[in-house]
Amino acid sequence: MTLKYARGWIAAALLLLPSAADAHIIAARLGDFYMGALHPFTDLQDVILWTAMGVLAGSLGASKGRWLILVFPLGLLAGLAVGRMFGPVTGGLADASMLLVIGVLLAAAARIPTVLLCAIAFGLAALRGAANGSDLAPDTDRLLFAAGLACAGYTVVTLTMALTVMFRPTAADPTSWQAIAVRALGGWIAAIGLMMASFALAS
Amino acid sequence: MCSRILRTLPTAIVALALTQPAFAHDQVGVAGGLLSGLLHPATGIDHLIAMVAVGIWGAQLGAPAIWVLPITFPLVMAVGGVLGVLRIPLPMPEVVIAMSALILGLAVAIRLRLPFPAAAAVVAVFAIFHGHAHGAELPGSANPLAYGVGFVTATGLLHLCGIAIGTLTRWPAGERVIQGLGAGIAGLGCYFLAQGLGAFA
Repeated sequence: MTLKYARGWIAAALLLLPSAADAHIIAARLGDFYMGALHPFTDLQDVILWTAMGVLAGSLGASKGRWLILVFPLGLLAGLAVGRMFGPVTGGLADASMLLVIGVLLAAAARIPTVLLCAIAFGLAALRGAANGSDLAPDTDRLLFAAGLACAGYTVVTLTMALTVMFRPTAADPTSWQAIAVRALGGWIAAIGLMMASFALAS
Repeated sequence: MCSRILRTLPTAIVALALTQPAFAHDQVGVAGGLLSGLLHPATGIDHLIAMVAVGIWGAQLGAPAIWVLPITFPLVMAVGGVLGVLRIPLPMPEVVIAMSALILGLAVAIRLRLPFPAAAAVVAVFAIFHGHAHGAELPGSANPLAYGVGFVTATGLLHLCGIAIGTLTRWPAGERVIQGLGAGIAGLGCYFLAQGLGAFA
């Protein structure tokens, strides 16, 4: 009986305590999280570079690529922090060079070591993290923005990597159409990087 | 009444056929750059037929050309694109682009079997000229990165079309169709070459 009363009091307290429910949590300061998560998708450079990174990691196999699940978001956070202290360190030439390097590695089907893959991923993520944080308003909650950005980076790289690992041929056949398709994509990425590098130098 | 319709109908049809579509809204930003990049190789018939011919010839030559081509062609074309972006002129670009359609069409029509390095060198020279033409448009586009993505993708897809058409070589009748297609491409190349040399001026 006592237990029954106690339940009643708890239920009544729960009903009385909650404040008004906000269906739109963007208005409750969590909007900065969503801003961080969506900001990279408003820039084509982020979309192309992140996807290219995921494809490169996936083409090297799950055992090497899985390190990026941790390294890439950490790189974004590091870039965001460094960009705040020293200003944005990115530019058209740096992004284009990254595209060129990733594209050439993909086109050549180079079997790079895990340490080098992680270093490229961290460098790229740091560049883009700094770029994403460069135009933040003073009243933006940087912690929420960083959390959103890291979540977006984690999601894009993990999904792209997983799709590439699934797409790869099961046998190590360099002339299978899947292997050639991935290498051809690398050729396209490298071509875009080369032209954008020249454009950055010319402008 | 009926004769009046018969008199005015051909005029209306001709007027309709000759009009250019009016674009009230110019595309800007990423969408504009991507669209112009995608359409640039596809709307220039000389570019389009040459890229398809490269794919068909690669399929005719077989391995390794059929798989080396889609991997390396965009990169070599990008070298030409760099020259175009940096405004470094190439000699007679329109004439060489027309010649590329003529020579690649002929190679397909007569089933020319060059050694792979020689075939790669021929294609590389033409790739630089085609890339130069595309690259020259890049700085003025609505979004240069989107334009680059668009034209590299369009070129790659045109190659794939050519390679897909080239798979018809497995059947004797298909081989004849491809050779006829090659002759058609060479004929169009002749037309563009004459145009480039000012024959229709």
